[in-house]
Amino acid sequence: MSSAAIETPLWRKLILNRFVLTLGILAALTLAWNAYVSTHDHGRVSGRVVDAEGRPVAAATVVLWVLNFTTYVEKTRATTDAEGRFLITDNDSHNIRLAAEKPGVGRSPRVPVRLYFRAEDVELLQPLVLSASG
Amino acid sequence: MLRYPRWPIHAMLLAVSFLMLVPFYWVVKTSVTGENIFAYPPSVLPKSPHPFYYVDVWYYIPFARYFLNSVVVSALAVIANVVFNALAGYALTREFRAKRFVLLLFLSCMMVPFQATIIPAYLITGRLGLLDSYWGLALPQFSTIVCIFVFKASFDAVPRSLVDAARIDGLAEWRIVWKVMMPLAKGAIATNVILGFIWSWNNFLWPLIVTRSAEMQTLPLGLARFLSYQEDTTGALYAFCIMVLAPGILLFLLAQKEFIRGLASGATKG
Amino acid sequence: MADEIPAAARPPRFARKSTRQAVLIWCFLAPSLAIFLLYRLIPLVWNVVLSFSDWSPLKGMKWAGLDQYEDMIHDDVFWQALLNTLVFMASAPVAIVIALALALLVSADIRGRNVYRTIIFVSYPLMTVAVAIIWRWLFDERVGLINYVARSLHLVESPIPFLNSFFWALPSVIVANIWQMLGFYMIVLLTGLQAIPPNLYEAAAIDGANAWRRFKRITLPLLKPSLFLCIVIGMLNSFTSFDLVYVMTGGGPGRATELLVTYIYRLGFSQTRFDYAAAVTVVFFALLVSIAWMANRLSGGEAGAVERD
Repeated sequence: MSSAAIETPLWRKLILNRFVLTLGILAALTLAWNAYVSTHDHGRVSGRVVDAEGRPVAAATVVLWVLNFTTYVEKTRATTDAEGRFLITDNDSHNIRLAAEKPGVGRSPRVPVRLYFRAEDVELLQPLVLSASG
Repeated sequence: MLRYPRWPIHAMLLAVSFLMLVPFYWVVKTSVTGENIFAYPPSVLPKSPHPFYYVDVWYYIPFARYFLNSVVVSALAVIANVVFNALAGYALTREFRAKRFVLLLFLSCMMVPFQATIIPAYLITGRLGLLDSYWGLALPQFSTIVCIFVFKASFDAVPRSLVDAARIDGLAEWRIVWKVMMPLAKGAIATNVILGFIWSWNNFLWPLIVTRSAEMQTLPLGLARFLSYQEDTTGALYAFCIMVLAPGILLFLLAQKEFIRGLASGATKG
Repeated sequence: MADEIPAAARPPRFARKSTRQAVLIWCFLAPSLAIFLLYRLIPLVWNVVLSFSDWSPLKGMKWAGLDQYEDMIHDDVFWQALLNTLVFMASAPVAIVIALALALLVSADIRGRNVYRTIIFVSYPLMTVAVAIIWRWLFDERVGLINYVARSLHLVESPIPFLNSFFWALPSVIVANIWQMLGFYMIVLLTGLQAIPPNLYEAAAIDGANAWRRFKRITLPLLKPSLFLCIVIGMLNSFTSFDLVYVMTGGGPGRATELLVTYIYRLGFSQTRFDYAAAVTVVFFALLVSIAWMANRLSGGEAGAVERD
């Protein structure tokens, strides 16, 4: 009864089974994603503030709003350093808004930022632009 | 071979396929762009798609919990289904005195749709103390007549000589079922698993009746509730739809053959 | 075997192999039978009992004779729900005819017919709640795709409030239902078509029969069991389409899309009138069974044959 030469061994049949394969791929993707998330979820939001001419603005106040059901509530504030950079470290939401202002220079519009998961570390690509008209 | 032009057939089938697929395309498009919820005229191609509605849905409702509930209930229902139906199907291949009566009983139960039993089923489940629990959700789905007959047909096809040989070897009945019949009934098992899973996964009315607390809700329930409190103001509802439909579509594409075969054989058994 | 052993030497009844086997068989049947007893047969009987009683959780059960049925006769909502259910049921043949055409097309010898088959069938195993949400939106008055197409083709001047109109609501639900069921009917009919031996067609062609005659004389008669099955399934589907109606319209503007099954749910779980709901259920079930029986008789009694072996 042995046809080992022609028959594929049981373990190979099991692995190549389309259900096992699909489940395996899904499990692997889930694990990989979870690993990525757990190493990138410190809640750091960083960016720059510039004025209308593109010069960095120091000591500007940056406000972070987080989504609470259907409205945004203010969570924290941060101040920019000498080069106009700011760093917020306690963001725990996935849907936030940022705005910056400095009395005398202007304010920026509220910029919505959508994240892939809660407390994702993100660096804003575009700086917050302060303009007199805000 | 009868000859006829092929292209009109392709044309008509393409038109029908287009009509069948348009709802999918429309929902996927809205779930990644959030357009066409307030704007008119609608745009045909998605402008600046983004996956963030899916993130919103994941955090806004306990999607993971609903998903888990659905998985647990479906798993319970499917496992019990395979065991109960295989046993009953095997019993129906043997001759015994009340066989005709039992067959008639099963066939008449097939004419009783679940919707005609919801009130007493709810009262019974309440009496059993199983309201708002996984067992209560899964219990009515522990056996289906169509699948019993699928197993019976599969077992009938096993040559008697095999069974007799096993019996002469002194194997106990349940051993015969487990070791001889089941390996030969892989198709029936696959059909049962697929059909049972899909029915349980999509079941809406029974969870609606039986669940009381928000944590025990299954996916269909979560989706319907989402509609009622979010209305359709963002693309999130449609992202939820896609997230809910994806496992079903994936399973269907993987198990198409079994699915169709199960429906066809279940259909011919009446 | 037992006859050859003298009566005195025969083992007692409970130790005989045949009895053990019978017990075993019943043990195998027991779990399934228990489930059906618990969730199909007992509920049926309980419904009937409830329908003849006046029951409230506070006052307990009292015999009420035909009171519930009397209420039913005077209940406008009941009659509307009944009418809606029958209209829904009458739409099944439309879907079946379309599915027959599709089955004929797909069974032709063309490339990629499995792809077409999959595309048409993929709507059936979907969660009906999701299907309802999708179609609810397609029929939307302001931004729905259907209104957009109708207006672009200048079929209508102003948008039609499909799901808010007493006239259009039920047809809209029916369209969504047809979209979902088409694939299923097609598969059943396809299976039936593939069981017809092709040499019948060839012989008829040689005898000079054209396509229409071949269809009428060969295909249709041999498809009768499949067609009948589709009709029964369609009827069952129209009676039990709770999910679609509940999510898509919730019963419709007023009661325009209320089906018997959604009315039963509303009575039992919104208004907690279990006794009246049970009465409506009894009527619902009786109607279902009698229509199925009538269909069986009309089709010559070949209903997916009862296996009596």
